[in-house]
Amino acid sequence: MNEMSPASFEIRDYIRLDLMPHFMCPGCGHGIAMRALLWAVHEHGIDKNDLAIVSGIGCSGRVGGYIDANTFHVTHGRPLAFATGLKLARPDLTVVVITGDGDCLAIGGNHLIHACRRNLDITCLMLNNEVYGMTGGQVSPTTSETRLTTTTPAGNVEPVFDACKLAEAAGASFIGREVTLQAPALKNLISKAIDHKGFSFVEVISDCTEIYGRKNDLGESPEMILSQKADMRPEAFGNVADQPFRPNKLSTGVLAENNRPEYGDVYRGQPAFRSAGEAK
Amino acid sequence: MAAGRMEIRLAGSGGQGLILGTRILFRALSLSGRLAAQSQSYEPTSRGGFCHSDLVVSDGEPDYPLVTGITYLIALDQIGADRSAPLISRGALVIADADLVTEPPKGDFRLCPAPLTGRARALGSHRVANIVALGTLIGVADICPAETLERAVKLDTPKKFAELNLAAMHEGLRIADELKAVAD
Amino acid sequence: MGGEIQPLHGNHACALAAVAAGCRFFAGYPITPSSEVAERMSRELPAVGGVFIQMEDEIASMAAVVGASLGGVKAMTATSGPGFSLKQENIGLASMMEAPCVIIDVMRGGPSTGMPTRPAQGDIMQARWGTHGDHPAVVITPASVKEIYEETIRAFNLAEALRVPVVILYDQVIAHLLESFIIPDISEFEIVEREYAAPDDEDFLPFAPDARGVPPMVRPGDGRRIHTTGLTHAETGFPTQDPETVDRVARRLLSKIDKNRDLIDKFESLETDDAELLIVAFGISARAARRAQRILGDDGVKVGLFRPITMWPFPEDQLRAAAAGAKAVLVPEMNAGQLVREVERVLGRDIEIVSLTKIDGEPIEPPAIVARAREMLAS
Repeated sequence: MNEMSPASFEIRDYIRLDLMPHFMCPGCGHGIAMRALLWAVHEHGIDKNDLAIVSGIGCSGRVGGYIDANTFHVTHGRPLAFATGLKLARPDLTVVVITGDGDCLAIGGNHLIHACRRNLDITCLMLNNEVYGMTGGQVSPTTSETRLTTTTPAGNVEPVFDACKLAEAAGASFIGREVTLQAPALKNLISKAIDHKGFSFVEVISDCTEIYGRKNDLGESPEMILSQKADMRPEAFGNVADQPFRPNKLSTGVLAENNRPEYGDVYRGQPAFRSAGEAK
Repeated sequence: MAAGRMEIRLAGSGGQGLILGTRILFRALSLSGRLAAQSQSYEPTSRGGFCHSDLVVSDGEPDYPLVTGITYLIALDQIGADRSAPLISRGALVIADADLVTEPPKGDFRLCPAPLTGRARALGSHRVANIVALGTLIGVADICPAETLERAVKLDTPKKFAELNLAAMHEGLRIADELKAVAD
Repeated sequence: MGGEIQPLHGNHACALAAVAAGCRFFAGYPITPSSEVAERMSRELPAVGGVFIQMEDEIASMAAVVGASLGGVKAMTATSGPGFSLKQENIGLASMMEAPCVIIDVMRGGPSTGMPTRPAQGDIMQARWGTHGDHPAVVITPASVKEIYEETIRAFNLAEALRVPVVILYDQVIAHLLESFIIPDISEFEIVEREYAAPDDEDFLPFAPDARGVPPMVRPGDGRRIHTTGLTHAETGFPTQDPETVDRVARRLLSKIDKNRDLIDKFESLETDDAELLIVAFGISARAARRAQRILGDDGVKVGLFRPITMWPFPEDQLRAAAAGAKAVLVPEMNAGQLVREVERVLGRDIEIVSLTKIDGEPIEPPAIVARAREMLAS
């Protein structure tokens, strides 16, 4: 933990101020997720020089560029594959992947399940806004049923992917989910995920007010976020919205955790392995 | 010793140890300072079906590494003989298994029927027919010294089979002596 | 090791050379006829503190190679046609991010699954133009086991010196050939190590080039926190769509090839001085051509052989020089005519150019080249 109290966290210390203003739409939840991540990084006392952020394509993919760290913005769906190479080459770095529902579950789905299975020490934040926002609002694997998108003009007929269940079945050793409204809870969850030695998967329920919200008449950002929370944490929320954001109730917090061996440790622990120093 | 470009083929069916046999011969030639290239055709199946492994020994700087006209052929069975026959050069040496090649190829070359698999079986395993064949080839054709082949057999076969393989090689040399005696 | 002549497998030569060149990361996916490279790397890398990983697919293995490379480690992958197609996306990423890496493509019959165990030479154009957009391409085509070894080391050197992906292209015949080899003393080879940016330069721009057109690399953890993206980016590393900047940075990427032909170019020109006929070939076809050249030479027919070892950038001037005295040019290749197009582009219409193609899964044999050469010379 950082010597400074959590209250001393200043996001300005962790972002590239010269890139401001950022390009995310007003009301977008991705900024809250980024702030929660950096807050957790701050609490852990991770040196920015030793932090690597790998992101893919889409709105989530652009988040990484604002972070004052070693940032890599790669091809669509491939951040986990790229991060696997990076982390294996550089186990000393803290590697965080920022991805989205399309990036991670559609084009990058194969990489996700194998990253979960391998259990390399990477933290994966999947910012789920239920839509391909960057490309103009097409249906994604997490778009709720019946929702309108530019490629589901009559409403989505495909079932929703539960990313956390997928990650658990594939073997991720840490799985959690949180909504953006509860920023401290999100920070705490990400903090636990970074702490965890192994592959940790965190689904952040974000929101796309500008494209998805407007198309489906879900109201402005506060209404969308409140309705998300109403659906997921009704016990802690007195103001239940009439129309829940998602038709299915989703659990939040740490959903699964185990301490099975981390891939890099296992690989380097093989009898045949000689560290660079030992090898001639 | 034989000089110039040599094109040697071990032919038969998958599972007869043709690639290993060629590899051992390659090692022996390497130990003699010769440059060569070994190739094989292979199919998705590991057992059965026509299989061959070729060794092209170069004369000077290596050029085309694949067989264009076989100068030494070992045919361990009929399919190996049949499929290789069109590639046999004039004046080549063809060693054909006396039992398994019932219709040996005919042409302007020297044919030596030899009991390769039979003798291998007598030694305890038909699987060493490939090594018996190498001994026979070396004995008849003077491609490299027998001691060099013996070193190669030791280097390239598992220790637990060393004794059997060496016995197989010497059995091959004996077959060569018998063939020479007949010729004389 | 070393000293003694021993049989060495083409794909194993590639793996041994990569490790000798300093490669410490390999990510791959099983595919015939390249799998022996991965198999050998899985044995060699742990012993030198390197990492081998078999990824979930071809795409992932290329992405992992780019990630490892930018982490500061020399990295490689190996594949064949179908996998090479899948890797193109992230080969483009390597070009754009300027991540040094080496990609082995062992050519087999295609398109699609084609003939996994049969040789072909049909990936010449894919190796040059496979990924979309204008990009620098360095492609090397070795023709023997020994040359696979030497050229793999050179490929790493070029990748590191120029910050480009380097493709090594060879066919299934050479990949699976065992040839006499003497493992050389690695001190005989120059090994290019990565240049990292100086830590104390105040005006540092991560993608500002040196005289060769190449920016120094930044290693994560060294204190410079840069942004590296597949988006078109300015010298700052951040995306831009300013036309002037885009033009400058895009041309700078391409200039890494033009400015460094002295490092990249390599070819073999044999007996071309007074040749009536010039054969242009690479890989196994060049070895058939060499045999044909000797057979014709024994009959007093003067035939030259020009063999690109670096295929891309194409050795244009060198080919023109080799063809200067010839009356005709013969281009044997195991595809429907890819190299011949490049030969035609370079030599123009003033010289007779004959294409000899073979796409039946069998190598071109010397007698076929001899026969065609005799036909050409008789007419």
